[in-house]
Amino acid sequence: MKPRCIWLDCDTGTDDAAAILCAAALPELKLAGLSSVAGNVEGRKTYLNTLRICRLMGRTYPVYAGAAQPLAVPYTPAYGFHGENGLGGVELPLPEHCDAPELPAWEAIYRCAVAQGGELELITTGPMTNAAMALLLHPDLPQYLKRILVMGGSATGGNRTPAAEFNVYADPHAAQTVFTSGVPVVMCGLDVTEQATVTPAQLSALAACGGTVAQTLCRLLATRPDHQRGAVMLHDVVPVLYAARPGLFEGRKAWVRVETKGAITRGKTVTDLYSDKKYPEKNALVLLGVDRSGFARLFFRLILSLDGICTDEACLDQIERGALT
Amino acid sequence: MMRPIPVICDCDPGHDDAMMLLLCQASPRIRILAVTTSCGNQTIEKTTYNALRVCTLLGIRAPVAKGSPKPLFGQPITAPNIHGQSGLDGPNLPEPAVPLSPLTAVELMAQTLRQSDEPVTILSTGPMTNTAALLLAHPELKPKIAGISLMGGGIAHGNWTPAAEFNVLVDPEAADLVFRSGLPITMAGLDVTLKALITETDIRRIESISGEVARVVAQWMEFFYAFHKSIGYAGAPLHDAVAAAWLIRPELFVTQQMFVRVETQGDYCRGATIGARPGRTDQSYAPNARCILDLDRQGFVDLVCEAVASYGGAT
Repeated sequence: MKPRCIWLDCDTGTDDAAAILCAAALPELKLAGLSSVAGNVEGRKTYLNTLRICRLMGRTYPVYAGAAQPLAVPYTPAYGFHGENGLGGVELPLPEHCDAPELPAWEAIYRCAVAQGGELELITTGPMTNAAMALLLHPDLPQYLKRILVMGGSATGGNRTPAAEFNVYADPHAAQTVFTSGVPVVMCGLDVTEQATVTPAQLSALAACGGTVAQTLCRLLATRPDHQRGAVMLHDVVPVLYAARPGLFEGRKAWVRVETKGAITRGKTVTDLYSDKKYPEKNALVLLGVDRSGFARLFFRLILSLDGICTDEACLDQIERGALT
Repeated sequence: MMRPIPVICDCDPGHDDAMMLLLCQASPRIRILAVTTSCGNQTIEKTTYNALRVCTLLGIRAPVAKGSPKPLFGQPITAPNIHGQSGLDGPNLPEPAVPLSPLTAVELMAQTLRQSDEPVTILSTGPMTNTAALLLAHPELKPKIAGISLMGGGIAHGNWTPAAEFNVLVDPEAADLVFRSGLPITMAGLDVTLKALITETDIRRIESISGEVARVVAQWMEFFYAFHKSIGYAGAPLHDAVAAAWLIRPELFVTQQMFVRVETQGDYCRGATIGARPGRTDQSYAPNARCILDLDRQGFVDLVCEAVASYGGAT
């Protein structure tokens, strides 16, 4: 089967790094391009971090720099989770050429979508500013996007604030633009991403099996506060794996809107999933569950494949058990 | 025998409010000092008339006072689709044989608190307009309030809008004042009340109890279930009765201390109760409410049936 064409827009980011690696490794997907956005750390850093991750796996993709600021609220980083450099303080080498193309991310996304004739799937793992800019500047874009898969939001409460998940909180207007664009949205929110975890022991076992890519990724993930708490949440990996293997997940179609005006609910994704009030319009598929073992094993297999290591079931059993070779 | 808990029942009857009053009146654990009404399920005239009729039926002799005809700042919202045009449709009820107090709800609440020699619990099962007004008008009486046990909100659920539960949505500013009052709050929100279902089997059990109260309750439940059945419920959620059952049989419930705030603004979230689950956010938020999250449903149903049976007749 012909691989499906995806675009990955991220604020790299430790779990964004894992998402980029998985997107490159999945045979079902063709990564047409990448773009960066201010989010976990500033836009300049997420751009360079994206290049660093591409270099890590020895591949060259078109990478475009995007928005440095959210649409209508001040920029807020997440240093606490990703460190000031976005990669938990781990220094990774840059490729030889790192000048950003003149074309901004949103124009590159639009051109790619048009060129793919409506088959492009856009995946966002950061604030949705670039996607929103593309939609605002090109009203015909919805007809060229097959769907938008976002890591963001939550049907039941947030992590950045009690009401809001970080990516949606960071640019609520952008998220509302995406959710109301008419393009089908797959919302990979905390409801599912908090279940998409790997343990420190599993990561150690993964690193022990692998080469540079696996070992480096495990170093990045080991800097996260949730690693210290015993379960690394691979938030941003979820939309990528869903794009390739939807059978690992379950979800329900829902009406979803983003609160942009609340005093304490800015960035809350409001769904009609858990309410008597229902709306006929279902603009998003909200993922709610994941086959945790299947997810983790696929993740291990993909990362090791980038080191040229083929894994059999016995090897995956061992990593899943967190056993060192 | 433990001393009964003195309560002021502030409600907008309403089928589930009526069941709250029934549980309170039937329990030796509770002493109703006053009943006050709010506009919510129906207009203030109708909820007050219903309160008087229910007190007459159940033999509640505490004074009844009428509350404000509208929320603190917004306009009333009523729920005739759920409770009918009267606010308490279904069986015929006795005409009021108890008088309406000449005091306003807030005046009666204040007088009741002043006259009580021990702190009083406010059992709030409608929009929190009266309780908020009481806190605004009589901050000096706060020490006389033992706590507020309320039906309202939902941490993970809405009903009237996707984000908001009815009682909080009708008067979000009032709910906000209550949640920020510093008083001990127990919130029976949709998280638990949607599980407090009276099923058809339970209705048959109530029907089998003899006496006028059992007959009326069974018909209330039939009416209340009909609407909920039409939108896919497996029973009638007895929301307001949960706030009373918590005072009577706390061992039936699972609770969690949580930081809870009310959104009063927003395009979609006005009236949402936002809870901070411990450990999910970087910041820590000091808990201000005990949220009831789960219950022993069978134990709850048994409590309801025992209360009905206490009016004469055998289970």
